Amino acid sequence: MAIVEAVQNAMPTYVNVYIAVFRYVAPLLAALILFRALFPLLRFRREPEIWAWLCLSDGKKIPITHWENIIGRDKRSDVVIDLATISRTHAVLTRYDDGSWSISDVETAGDVLVNGKAVTVRALKKNDVITMGGLEMTLQPISAKQEKRLAQIRTKASSFGTGVTNVILLSLFQILTCIGFLMTGKAEHGTSYLMGFGGLMLSQWLLFLFYTVIRRPAFEVESVAFFLCTMGMAVICTVAPGEAVKQLISAMLGIGLFLAVLWALRDLERAKVIRYFAVVAGIAMLVATLVFGTSINGAKNWIFIRGISLQPSELSKLCFVFVGASTMDRIMTKRNIYLFIAYSVAICGCLALMSDFGAALIFFCAFLIIAYMRSGSVGTVALAVTSLVFAGVLVLKIAPHALDRFANWRHIWDDPWGAGYQQTQALMCMASGGLAGLGINQGWMRNLFAADSDVVIATVSEEWGILMAVLLILSVIALALFSVRCASMGRSSFYTIGSCTAAAILLVQVILNALGTVDVVPLTGVTFPFLSNGGSSMICAWGLLGFIKAADTRQNASFAVRLLKTRGGEADE
Amino acid sequence: MNRIAKRSFTVTLLALLLLGGFAFFLVEYAMNAPQWAVADSSPHVYDDDRFQSGTVYDRDGNILLQMQDRWTYSSDPQIRKATLHWIGDREGNIQVPAVPNYYDQVLGFDYLNGIYTYGGIGSGEGSVQLTVSAQLQSLALEQMNGRKGTIAVYNYKTGQILCAVTTPTFDPDDLPDIAADPVTYEGAYMNRFVQSAYTPGSIFKVVTLAAALEELPNAAELTFTCTGSWGGGEYPVTCESVHGTQSLKQAFCNSCNCAFAELSGILGSDVLHTYVEKFGITDPVSFDGITTAKGNFEKTENPVSLAWSSIGQYTDLVNPCAYVLFMGAIAGDGSGAMPYVVAKADDGQEGYMAQTAFSSPVISSQTAQTVQEYMRYNVTAKYGADHFPGLTVCAKTGTAEKDDGVAPTAMFTGFVMDAQYPLAFIVCVEEGGYGASTCIPIASRVLTACKQYMDS
Repeated sequence: MAIVEAVQNAMPTYVNVYIAVFRYVAPLLAALILFRALFPLLRFRREPEIWAWLCLSDGKKIPITHWENIIGRDKRSDVVIDLATISRTHAVLTRYDDGSWSISDVETAGDVLVNGKAVTVRALKKNDVITMGGLEMTLQPISAKQEKRLAQIRTKASSFGTGVTNVILLSLFQILTCIGFLMTGKAEHGTSYLMGFGGLMLSQWLLFLFYTVIRRPAFEVESVAFFLCTMGMAVICTVAPGEAVKQLISAMLGIGLFLAVLWALRDLERAKVIRYFAVVAGIAMLVATLVFGTSINGAKNWIFIRGISLQPSELSKLCFVFVGASTMDRIMTKRNIYLFIAYSVAICGCLALMSDFGAALIFFCAFLIIAYMRSGSVGTVALAVTSLVFAGVLVLKIAPHALDRFANWRHIWDDPWGAGYQQTQALMCMASGGLAGLGINQGWMRNLFAADSDVVIATVSEEWGILMAVLLILSVIALALFSVRCASMGRSSFYTIGSCTAAAILLVQVILNALGTVDVVPLTGVTFPFLSNGGSSMICAWGLLGFIKAADTRQNASFAVRLLKTRGGEADE
Repeated sequence: MNRIAKRSFTVTLLALLLLGGFAFFLVEYAMNAPQWAVADSSPHVYDDDRFQSGTVYDRDGNILLQMQDRWTYSSDPQIRKATLHWIGDREGNIQVPAVPNYYDQVLGFDYLNGIYTYGGIGSGEGSVQLTVSAQLQSLALEQMNGRKGTIAVYNYKTGQILCAVTTPTFDPDDLPDIAADPVTYEGAYMNRFVQSAYTPGSIFKVVTLAAALEELPNAAELTFTCTGSWGGGEYPVTCESVHGTQSLKQAFCNSCNCAFAELSGILGSDVLHTYVEKFGITDPVSFDGITTAKGNFEKTENPVSLAWSSIGQYTDLVNPCAYVLFMGAIAGDGSGAMPYVVAKADDGQEGYMAQTAFSSPVISSQTAQTVQEYMRYNVTAKYGADHFPGLTVCAKTGTAEKDDGVAPTAMFTGFVMDAQYPLAFIVCVEEGGYGASTCIPIASRVLTACKQYMDS
């Protein structure tokens, strides 16, 4: 390409100066971008939303701060009624998207009467009298006016100005990186560089534009994801420039899926329906892999369709999050957790047959998180037993595979030319780069197996410095902590469980990938979300991000949360 | 919802796990990154087993090795052979050369930039300067005359190793078929000065003597009667001639085995063992990334075994480097400078500069001075001071008997007491026969050459 030749014909001095300066500029710019995106996520004021008041017969009014509320004597209940006649967990009060409410009796607990009649689940009408343990109460939802006022005074997510600045900074980083590649790379790869970084830049502007149009200017978790994608693109441009466009397309598909997840979660009833599809799709994809799949590097986890390779276990993760997430009224009936356990065992069985150790570990951790968040005390025993079965299957089925990795773990320097080759070379390259890296496109890691996937963090460290690697890891940690922070204001447990599980999956992947590369944990060949080269992984990562984004209830933050509009119905009466 | 929100701490736990795990790695990184960056086979700085940057010089600035491409050694074959074990061979068979310990300095590694230098990797102007003199190395190698062993001279006031050769060696530019001749090239990849442990023979009497002088207030007044044999039984301790009644000083000069056997009985195994440990005789010495071989001195209840071990036989083993450090401690009135072989290493600008460090005193200065006097007496009364013109040499010979019909290892060790030539030395010649007849001429020439070198 003419442009590349023109740039490259400039004196080599310019190239060296560019590398020398950008080594320091890149981590500083990255830190600025990530700080701007993550600081609000970790510092915003968490304030409860009030959706209704529960008026007791003695005149006490208790605020209802979630869409799903446990009423009981237990101190950890959402509505604590400290009366001996009330069970520890007595009933669940649920609000729906349309503003209507229902009450469900928790099966094992005392009765719930509505207007004097015992009910298991019952939609509440205005002035219905609820009786529990002899105590009478009425639910008084807030009026549309109050709701509007509440929404207006609620902490805003970042403004348009902040968002657009983030996107501009990201674009600047992408342009500088692209120039670096044009200067140092081969002329024949010029198109890949331009399309890769240009495409990402275009995608982020389009997404931001879309957000602006729908009045949700918060671009924080997206900024983090786009930054990780940019670094992933930089790795691909170093290691396998020919795959840049493929990765870009995957990122675009991923963004599509991200929006689809948000759309699905916008309406909980819809989400519950999609959940059934997810149940089927999750297991069907794994079974399909078992039947039609191809083995690569020991694990049978690839499907080839007309030259396109797919790793369905990645997409199964997303389905698993859907399956695991559940609303409170369902959680309180025990039957559901057993179904979920059975489902998990089936998934694990498939993965065991596929010998996909990394994926099995991720699913196992996701299972633990979901099971713990859902079960509380009731399912704990079942949980423990299932964990054992799970672990047993893992050990029995995958043992030879796993044992090999464990044998090498913490012993990579014993055999730097054999079993420890990949990791010792990775560490040598990381050390060669120091804190600021050897400079864009100056690394050796491209010659190493899986430099753009399993040991991608070393490839980043070598060229961009350990500082950059630390920033990437901290940003994933920050996303996870954001999920935890949002949990206390979660409207529905569906969102909270979904976002926490998604965050947990991202964390486990980073733990296995990054810590595996540097020999802190055994190397399992798992991808680093957004960063590793791999279409299925990229798409899945965006999907998971959708769950995290959906739990953000700040004003104008995500379109999974509906903007207020004047509703007809009982609130206006 | 409150309950579920609280249960989200599990995600926080995972986040902490990741944070802790990576922090653990960063600590490992902080401790090891300089070594990792230049580790053997590190792709940026190695080409086919060979490190690629910088030059190695001797103490006078003679080029010993240029580390580019296939490596270029000195043009003098004798220098190539004599310095090989400090530098390393092309194939990486020599395991403990001192130079690789400073590769990170040669490349100018620092934590911020790694091995990055403007325009590439490493400045190419890095260098390592050794403390050894190529000229003295060549001369010492010549004195070995094809025999196996080691000769070393070090400055006990600065710690600099002036000369340390090991044989067998080979010419890296004219590789012999080492595998095909395992006898001639036995241990050719080994630096005997630091990696071997020899049966010391009578040079060990210095240790027993020093222990006696420290432990027994009247040691100097003790007298011993040698009848030519001591202990009886299957393995009696014997002398080649009957020494009769002698003072400790005379017995040390005569290297009287019977007298020392008797002395070992007075001291006892525990006491002798305590002093061997205190003197650091069997401890490994560490410098420039090298850790020397461990020695051996066993406790024994059997008086005859104890007698043998007190004269450097039985299961005794000493490493030449550790022993010459002990000689330095005696010469230095109780404490000698720690040895080193790399004087400086840098990337052309700044880097490592060796500094003199002293061992903590291992022996009282009074005892050290008495041992100096006794060892000087050996030279004047027995070995002949005229072997060392212009040098006040104090020394002890040794002839370490070997099992199974192998000729004894000839040993000679000591130091020079002159302030302008603070040198401690050791000569070990495997299958060399008598220490006195084999090693004294070698030491004579090497020390004389060292004197001339230091004078010029």
